[in-house]
Amino acid sequence: MRELPEIAAEFSFEKEKAIAKSFSQRFQWEMMLIGLGQAAIWLSLWPLVLNGFLDLWAGFLIASLCACFAYLPSHEAQHGNYSRGNPKLRWLDSLVGHITLVTLKFPYHILRITHMKHHAYTNDQKKDPDYINAHNTSVLKVIKNVLDGSTLQFDKYLDVFANDKAFLNSFHQAIPIALFYKLAPLVLVIIFPFETLLLWWLPAKVGSVYTTVFFSYYPHLGTSTGRYMNTRFWSHWMPRYLNHSMQLHFIHHLHPNIGHFDEPKAIEALKPFLIARNVPGADQIPEKVSYNPLIKF
Amino acid sequence: MLIEKLLNHISNWGKFWFGLIFLGSILNAMLEKFTLLSGTPYIWVLAFGLGALIGLVAKIRGVWL
Repeated sequence: MRELPEIAAEFSFEKEKAIAKSFSQRFQWEMMLIGLGQAAIWLSLWPLVLNGFLDLWAGFLIASLCACFAYLPSHEAQHGNYSRGNPKLRWLDSLVGHITLVTLKFPYHILRITHMKHHAYTNDQKKDPDYINAHNTSVLKVIKNVLDGSTLQFDKYLDVFANDKAFLNSFHQAIPIALFYKLAPLVLVIIFPFETLLLWWLPAKVGSVYTTVFFSYYPHLGTSTGRYMNTRFWSHWMPRYLNHSMQLHFIHHLHPNIGHFDEPKAIEALKPFLIARNVPGADQIPEKVSYNPLIKF
Repeated sequence: MLIEKLLNHISNWGKFWFGLIFLGSILNAMLEKFTLLSGTPYIWVLAFGLGALIGLVAKIRGVWL
């Protein structure tokens, strides 16, 4: 990587990378537990509700919570953070990546390949699949777009990356699962109308809105292109434990292999590097990030 | 190819089918369970017709909301 001339040697990319690597080794068991656990809880809601052991509205609340927890375990899988480069463990990435997304009704292959493009072309108006979310004019518009499905411009990105064989292959791999997620609710709703609405369709919408607002919109709001400029540190009235700590999303864009639960400590260690590189909001990062809720009114 | 034709059809008419089947089923269940119209013969025609209409409007507009 080419160094900018004004960056001191003590903040070189090599040193930054070495520190980041020390936080990129641990096995992400918590995230696997969350991914597989929420899917198991969500699945168990169906027999519980259908047999009258659980009220449908309680089921809806639990299913919506499950949906909010569904994306991040898949996201770690998309980056290979369970296998950590070990080919014998890649099945773990696939297993968690696919199963956790059942709640959200999204095919893993499509999310993985579009997310890789998001990392490669963050904030590029033509090539970043998340651009429409990250650069919307208000939270309400983001919510509206997610609810009516207009943020999913898969046809557009099939054209943009028409010459990228890996991209096209992943799309084709996802077709059977995509069809299943389209057709399964249409069959289920005929037999169990209210259950399909309140245990799957609506919770998936709640989870998609939550994920898009906190994972796409806020972290990239007002940012530009460039490795150190495309994501920001931000604060919110909501404690970071309620929004999956997406205030810290910038460190993920710099070093995607740092496990989610290791990011606070990594940021503490890398803070001088982030300030030296002018990461948006880096000067606002507190000395202690671990266990800090990062609330700001 | 069958899959390709199916995908094209879903891409073009997905909103209509979703309106007819998904919204229609929900509306039908709601009308039967919660309204004075429950027990009325052919109430399902109203429910599925309304669902199909909403889907058709969404298809023509290109967006749901």
